[in-house]
Amino acid sequence: MSIKTVGVIGAGTMGAGIALVCARKGHQVMLLDANQAVLDKALVYLESILTKDVEKNKISEQEMTETLELVHLVSEMEQLADCDIVIEAVPERLDLKKSIFSQLSGICREDALLLTNTSSISITEIAGGLSHPERILGFHFFNPAPVMPLVEVIRGKKSSEENVEMAYRFAQELGKVPVLVTDTPGFIVNRIARPYYNEALRILGDHVAGVEQIDRIMKLAGGFKMGPFELQDMIGIDINFATTKSVYTDFFHEGRFKPSRIQQQMVQSGSLGRKTGEGFYDYNK
Amino acid sequence: MTTTNKAVLLVGTSPLYAELNQLMVERGYQVLTLAEAMAEPELVELAVEVNSVDMQAKKRQVRELDDLLPPNVPIITTSLAITATEVASWTQHPERVCGFGTLVPLVERELIEIAPALQTELNTIQATEGFFQSLGKETETVNDEVGLVFPRILTLIINEAAFTLMEKTATATDIDIAMKKGTNYPYGPLEWADRVGLDEIFAISRGLQRDLAEERYRTAPLLRKLVLAGRVGVRSGQGFYTYEEKVGVEA
Repeated sequence: MSIKTVGVIGAGTMGAGIALVCARKGHQVMLLDANQAVLDKALVYLESILTKDVEKNKISEQEMTETLELVHLVSEMEQLADCDIVIEAVPERLDLKKSIFSQLSGICREDALLLTNTSSISITEIAGGLSHPERILGFHFFNPAPVMPLVEVIRGKKSSEENVEMAYRFAQELGKVPVLVTDTPGFIVNRIARPYYNEALRILGDHVAGVEQIDRIMKLAGGFKMGPFELQDMIGIDINFATTKSVYTDFFHEGRFKPSRIQQQMVQSGSLGRKTGEGFYDYNK
Repeated sequence: MTTTNKAVLLVGTSPLYAELNQLMVERGYQVLTLAEAMAEPELVELAVEVNSVDMQAKKRQVRELDDLLPPNVPIITTSLAITATEVASWTQHPERVCGFGTLVPLVERELIEIAPALQTELNTIQATEGFFQSLGKETETVNDEVGLVFPRILTLIINEAAFTLMEKTATATDIDIAMKKGTNYPYGPLEWADRVGLDEIFAISRGLQRDLAEERYRTAPLLRKLVLAGRVGVRSGQGFYTYEEKVGVEA
């Protein structure tokens, strides 16, 4: 199947970024959101990124116009009927995602590939109970989607091998680096990166070292680009905490994934990192 | 003790031995083996002990150093798999023992962590900091616990990657690609483990499990078995990868 039209559901930062990745490769993109204001904002975002590309002489004005013309803003699910592939990028709520895939099952062609950009919900669970679970796969981009090269292609319990291969090739065709993952909590990255935050929090809690010390050590001794606390502040401490809790719950409370009380208190106090001006570091200074 | 000789006694079997030896020679130190130091113990200004896998050998060597050297000579010991406080407790002069932790390759380590034992006196800490700074490294002094900060966090990342591989969630190659491309790690955790040595990582993991006694520090069975099979990484030609062909192992 040659892919011409891609549907993207949810026009937030991830959805808009994914739409841009697809449009840059010449696909027609149907960017869907029920909220017109979100769609308007997504268009501004696309224009701002492409304008920067023009300023940096990466693309011409003409190419910018052509890319933007490939992105169609839509608000009704039925408008995705002709899509070869649909990528869902709505907030991380199981009920919401299940409802979307259930609707898509009735709207899309039977051979259309249905992908979810979830970072924390089981693909098997999203696909569970649907009429064609074999065509539902995880397709996990990293933020910001136009920049980060990785896509985790996640095989749910009932995903077919044929569809896994198709999704893998699609990721390559988008210029991304795909990796194949079997559906497990946190997939690869969010699972293996847990100790970077969690053990740093444990070390902090045990007063082995302080926030700035740990960040300095991980950068200078470990060669990491950002320390675990700087990174939590950037990601959002609430987001990081939610991911940890979800991995912990889904692994049936295995001790390795136990969340940190320090992180919980940061969230409870509203110190969520850069976005609130204060997290492990103070950004108001 | 003279300032012209700058003689340092270096003992141990960790991969750090060769790299520390080379770095010290480059920085103008005279590096003595235990046999050389026994002939002229008064030459030794500082002793460095780097055993991190065999705790019996570590205990034996630290006690040898403690018996051999005058009580004012600092003994700097790796506290990767055991606390500096416990190492110091083996000696007659625990105040001259100070822990440190780092992993090979040293050329990539801009900073070395130092962890004084509860018994360590200030002079010893200052001598330890001065020593590593003279090797061109920055230092950070942290509280004494197994694995310090960087080796402990890296060990847990590698351990989780080993669980992920063992469970066939993804291939070794895909796990490493994912961590480099998805979150900008300098190396994939499995290739990183192969460079550091799986035996060193296993020793830290076991030390954390022993001292902190929590399920969170449980070693991935695959990591344990690779070490028992002698597949400790690049050094042995095989670890998570095989180095003749550099392909991922089927876990």
